[in-house]
Amino acid sequence: MAISLIPLVRPGRDLRVDFLRGLALWFIFIDHTPGNLLGLATLRNVAFCDATEAFVLLAGFAAGIAYGRIMEREGWLQAAGRVMGRVGTLYVAHIFLFVVFTAQVGFSAAALDQAAYLDELALDPFTQEPYRALLEALLLRYQPAFLDILPLYIVVLALFAVTLPMIRRPIWMLAGASVLYVVTRSFELEPPAWNGQSWSFNPFAWQLLFVIGIWLGRADPVKLSQHFPWNRWIALLLVVLLIVAAALLNFFWHGATSGIEMPERLSGWMASIDKTSLHPARLASVLIMCWLISHLLPPGAAFLFGRTAGSFILMGQHSLPVFCAGIFLSFLGRVAIEMSDSLLMQVLVNVAGLAAMLGVGAVSAWYDDGGRRKAQALPTAGQKPKVDA
Amino acid sequence: MKGRSLWMTAVALAAGIGLWPLGLRAEGPGCGAPAEYLVSGPLPGTSAALARGNLRVMVVGSASTQAGGTSSPSATWPQRFVRILSARTPGLNVEVQIFGGRGTTAADHSRLMAEHGPGLRPHLVIWQLGTVEAARGLSADDMADMVQETTSRVRAARGERTDMVLMDPQFSRFLRANADVESYRDKLRLAAAASGAQFFSRWSIMKFWAENERLDLERAPRSLRVTIADELHDCLARALVEFILDGARPAPR
Repeated sequence: MAISLIPLVRPGRDLRVDFLRGLALWFIFIDHTPGNLLGLATLRNVAFCDATEAFVLLAGFAAGIAYGRIMEREGWLQAAGRVMGRVGTLYVAHIFLFVVFTAQVGFSAAALDQAAYLDELALDPFTQEPYRALLEALLLRYQPAFLDILPLYIVVLALFAVTLPMIRRPIWMLAGASVLYVVTRSFELEPPAWNGQSWSFNPFAWQLLFVIGIWLGRADPVKLSQHFPWNRWIALLLVVLLIVAAALLNFFWHGATSGIEMPERLSGWMASIDKTSLHPARLASVLIMCWLISHLLPPGAAFLFGRTAGSFILMGQHSLPVFCAGIFLSFLGRVAIEMSDSLLMQVLVNVAGLAAMLGVGAVSAWYDDGGRRKAQALPTAGQKPKVDA
Repeated sequence: MKGRSLWMTAVALAAGIGLWPLGLRAEGPGCGAPAEYLVSGPLPGTSAALARGNLRVMVVGSASTQAGGTSSPSATWPQRFVRILSARTPGLNVEVQIFGGRGTTAADHSRLMAEHGPGLRPHLVIWQLGTVEAARGLSADDMADMVQETTSRVRAARGERTDMVLMDPQFSRFLRANADVESYRDKLRLAAAASGAQFFSRWSIMKFWAENERLDLERAPRSLRVTIADELHDCLARALVEFILDGARPAPR
């Protein structure tokens, strides 16, 4: 099957970005299926950051290239219009997933007949005030568990529409994003949320990662590697740092408490690493990996043209439909894993999940491909650059 | 005579063979909970109180401390904990006071401890939390801050002679599927380590029981639910007693 998928891969882009994006999408599916044994092998177990960081950074990268080009050719209004169109699509997708999520929770509550088991579970806002919760969900002020990445993406992309002209002055854009990040963290700025909740991902902090992605996407690769040249010793040091972080995480953060006692100061520091406002350790972690990968995996690596990488590249090139499919499938996967603890079910959920995500990627590619050929056949139709950011 | 002794030997052998699987099936302490979850760091306050024969315990938590689907409040784990601990350590007088209730959060618990702690002067505080935060999607970071702040305050009040034990949510596949429980548990574990509290992982122990078909409240038929809830609370109390006694073993450890 994979062989026939390769022709669907869109050439002429940095395939590494698409590959990593595809991988991040797969990890997001796995991490959104609690109880999934593969969850023990995803990025979050070995690094302070997880697939969300990779997803946002690479989304910025793709957005910088795609919308930057439109901005240069057609101006701010056109480009901002396209960005806001994308925001609208994301919003509709989010609300669709919210409805699916609510139905899934209702279904599994009935299936497990859990009403009398954990008293506290009836305390979730949707059970208590369904109509209000619906309204708050539309306002993005209520985000149930695991439905928090799209709201972040929506706000960050909307901010991008406003600040698009700044991409001509990338240093200013980076400086502005950094200031907003620092101010957000120092003064604990956050968008409003309902019912004592908070945004899982504070967009005012996370925008920095997106903007770094834009900057990387727009920068000249040759100049970029001159600015951040390969140095074996620095690389070695960073690899050691990553290994130390992985050890810390596995011995103390996720692991058992007994046996080895960690100094209180170190635990205190680790407890302070928040995901909500993108703690500097998480930011550093993803950027270090980005630098290492960009040097260790050259753009022309034979691996990228193989079957396995090709499948992930295909998913990465159609990130929105694949992302939504992944979240949707994770709901089904959750119900399945809830129903059966067996190893067979684990295999089934993961094989079916990945195959379905790949299928969605392939169908999107095929659909886009058809559209492009039609556009080429009609000489009058203005050829718009393909946007998938 | 000889025939009779041979007969006796045969009976004894048969009995031995018959009992053999029973012997294998005999559970370890704490209803067979994995030993790694029954190991606590030192609990000096509790240790000293046990030596004196008088232990004051403060339990703070949400629904499971009050009833949690058991047959009566006296069947819950805090009450059973007192009974089992008293039976295990003859001559010990255990006083327990329970605070909190359904839907209470770490912030509520912190207030309760500030209000009642000074009058009670407990040697041991058992703080059960995390379920409400996870179910309602409250901030895990705020919860961790609250735990560290409160633990430092409680421990300092009696010159580091009050021990704090944190207890995480009950294992539930439904909760696992519909809330990001692991993030909350990770934060609780770190907050405990950062503030010198001990961490009793009810989640891991119950998960072990559920996966090994020892006790699985979630999959119990409705008619048996109260009976199994009672047994679950009994087993949790037994595991907790093992944990506390491990932490209170006199030095050198």
